[in-house]
Amino acid sequence: MKRLQIAMESAKLANGLNVVVAPDTTAPVVTVGVYYKIGFRLEPQGRSGFAHLFEHMMFQGSANAPKMQHIKLVNSSGGMLNGSTSYDVTNYYEAVPSNALERVLWLEADRMRALKVDDENLKNQRDVVKEEVRVNVMNQPYGGFPWLDMPPVAFRNWANAHNFYGDFADLDAADLADVQAFFKTYYVPNNAVLLMLGDVKAEEGIALAKKYFGEISAGAPPPFADPSEPEQGEERRGNVEEKFGTLPAMAIGYVIPKRRTADWCAMALLDQALHGGRAGRMHRELVIEKQIAVEAGGGIDDIFGYNGPTQMTTRVLHKPEYSSQATLEAFDAVVREVQENGISADELEQLKVKWRSDYYATLEGGRGGYMPRYGLMHLLACFTLFDNEPQLANTILDGFLAVSREEIQAVAKKYLRNEKRAIVFRTPVKAALPAGAKEAA
Amino acid sequence: MAARVVEVANGVPGLAAERAVTWPKRTRAQLSNGLEVILAEAHSIPKFHGELFFRSGNAAAAHRGPGLAEMTATVVRTGTRKRASRQIEEDLRRIGADLSSGAGADTSAISFAGLSEFAEPLLGLVNELVREAAFPDAEFERERRQKLEEVKLERTQPGFVASARLRKVLFGAHPYGEVSPSEEQVAAYKREDLQVIYREFYTPENGLLLLVGDFDAAGMLKTIEKVFGAWTGKKPEPTAAAAPANPRGRRVYLVHLPGAVQTQIVAGCHAITRKHPDWVKLGLTNSLYGGAFNSRLVMNIREDKGYTYSPRSGVHALRQHGYFSVSAAVRNDVVAASLTEMFYEMDKLRSVPVPVPELADAQNYLSGVFSMGLATQDGLLSQLSTVALNELPDDYLETYRPRVRALKPEDLLATARKYLDSANMQVVVVGDRAQIEEQASLFGEVEVYDAQGKRMD
Repeated sequence: MKRLQIAMESAKLANGLNVVVAPDTTAPVVTVGVYYKIGFRLEPQGRSGFAHLFEHMMFQGSANAPKMQHIKLVNSSGGMLNGSTSYDVTNYYEAVPSNALERVLWLEADRMRALKVDDENLKNQRDVVKEEVRVNVMNQPYGGFPWLDMPPVAFRNWANAHNFYGDFADLDAADLADVQAFFKTYYVPNNAVLLMLGDVKAEEGIALAKKYFGEISAGAPPPFADPSEPEQGEERRGNVEEKFGTLPAMAIGYVIPKRRTADWCAMALLDQALHGGRAGRMHRELVIEKQIAVEAGGGIDDIFGYNGPTQMTTRVLHKPEYSSQATLEAFDAVVREVQENGISADELEQLKVKWRSDYYATLEGGRGGYMPRYGLMHLLACFTLFDNEPQLANTILDGFLAVSREEIQAVAKKYLRNEKRAIVFRTPVKAALPAGAKEAA
Repeated sequence: MAARVVEVANGVPGLAAERAVTWPKRTRAQLSNGLEVILAEAHSIPKFHGELFFRSGNAAAAHRGPGLAEMTATVVRTGTRKRASRQIEEDLRRIGADLSSGAGADTSAISFAGLSEFAEPLLGLVNELVREAAFPDAEFERERRQKLEEVKLERTQPGFVASARLRKVLFGAHPYGEVSPSEEQVAAYKREDLQVIYREFYTPENGLLLLVGDFDAAGMLKTIEKVFGAWTGKKPEPTAAAAPANPRGRRVYLVHLPGAVQTQIVAGCHAITRKHPDWVKLGLTNSLYGGAFNSRLVMNIREDKGYTYSPRSGVHALRQHGYFSVSAAVRNDVVAASLTEMFYEMDKLRSVPVPVPELADAQNYLSGVFSMGLATQDGLLSQLSTVALNELPDDYLETYRPRVRALKPEDLLATARKYLDSANMQVVVVGDRAQIEEQASLFGEVEVYDAQGKRMD
């Protein structure tokens, strides 16, 4: 078995900024990322969607790079750029020919030091974000299902349970004072990590980090709302109307164990057993064998990238001739099977090989084919911000490869319990009436 | 309205000297059975990516039924003479591999990726799929019903509905006019048709095997000979479809989606294939127009006016024909305003030479982004397959960047005049008729359709 070893160096600047450099000379391209430890969960109440709206504002101008210049300077250097908002982090990243490295660092430092935006920028991006929500959620069949539908059903703490894309009224209420306050609170160097991956030497990268970011003042340590959930003791259910699609759908989510515990590793392999593509038990049973569902998949999304309560979620679109009840019973049978009989030694071996292979693919993985090493960047950032240990990228695999059959069966029994789950039904308003409802065998 | 004053940035570091871009050596071979092989080493991770292409797709199968090559590829992976569906999926997992099969307009393909240590068993499975697929009755029946649901779902997605209508408008009865079958057409699929397509298309003389990854090319070539050497089969007879008419005059096609809270716009016109000498020029013109974040259209209707999140333009090359398109999902009350800006930016590129600094920025962008393909195994695979499938010159990757950099403002002006054919653009709008018909009618005579493709009054 050939193991992959990622070369990296890390440092912490005097202002608290973490820096990680992972040199690799495969191509004369460097990927730069800045991750801030702020996401949906911590946005202020009454300002749902604000973390994401704010992410858009970071492209709207900084002290020395006014509106439109940030994008222009990256593109005209031969590079691509983007940003994204998640539960616990927000990231900004560029992939550029390595001769543009200093320019990109200058741009990222400029907007970390001083965001410079006005009301017109805010109005413009509020409009853009509303169209983003419409194109991805409100005007799409099964839009936002289940990532936006599930949290208010599954969780009780507002941090985990609110609309992450934002209610339009909340987006409208956001003003420039909110933008500047959010920036001052969370976008400080001591709440961030800077990453450079690819065609850059380690010492060169760290020296450049000092040159461009070293003078930015540290801020007060940001406040962190407690995202923990009260103990769940009952199954939770919710209904959402489906406006465009005609197939009934449901999503079943179970809260997963705390990150970096032995249970968490076992759960990840159980997830692979249940949701690992066409060999996964959910797809095999519901789509191939029983043919109740048209789609049955999902699982733990971005397992390394969260730092609070999260779920393993199965998304099922089923044929209208099967009732929700019958479909759920078929789902439950898959869960019961693994709880009662566990998995075979042969299946476990398969899961581990596939897990290792998928992990390597994540490390190399681009985003849309043109953001090389996005996956490695993401892991190094999360391991730094959540665990203070970027080297985990080289060692974390061990925990997953050590999982036993007994542990998988044990987590199936311990975590896949009805009183620990939430179910969202997405019900079509214009479903064709089933020819004759069938009960699943 | 007065344009917003664009301020410039202060103190931006210059670019360092450009580092050389060296494309990896390609190992080419043709097996005695006619299979063409291209290999490139890339040692970033202990894995490899591969794709086995056949140079026949849905267009070549269209006379038997729309989408039949895709359906054939789907059923190919569900069973061979040696392995049942479940066995195939578990064997893939056992060697850490991913595999998918599908067909586009011009090719059918098995795509795969796996750990280098298990290269031979993965290639063995691919070999089995392309030579010994069994088309089990029950699997065919299941996939057909599955496809019916997919087809229904597609027709509720505004982006799909818009692009399918545009293809119909641009290519009419030509096979390129049909991007997906109807429910009735899927219901009429027969297992025997799939088997005929399989026998005709899936042959070594019709094939191209590309592998990129962590292996030794010489050793890998030996493995390939061992695995695929005994396979035989002729190139299929070429199918010819009459050239589609190029629609003249601007027309508007409104697809009514009741209750839509946004309007999907897509407009397009005929353009060129990748083999055409103007391809690089059109690529650069497109990147100035709406093909990059920094492009004129994105800056205008997104960053200045906030009409949309997702504006973009693109040049789409099929083997026999190509087309240019521009799209955006916009607020219902700015459909006409967005179309006006789309045409304004097109006409401006057709009328006024691009300023030299803006051209230089776009040249940097296109040549920089092109080299990103080097950094990942699948990125490189996709670059190599584009060159091979379009029969581009061997040094295409090496000469692309200098060719982009050699272009002048007058080249782009001529290219925009030729291909950003604003007077003959076919405009598709997908949304709620009551909210958008009047706006749409400002741009040409309107034909109204429902999401199933039926003409409405």
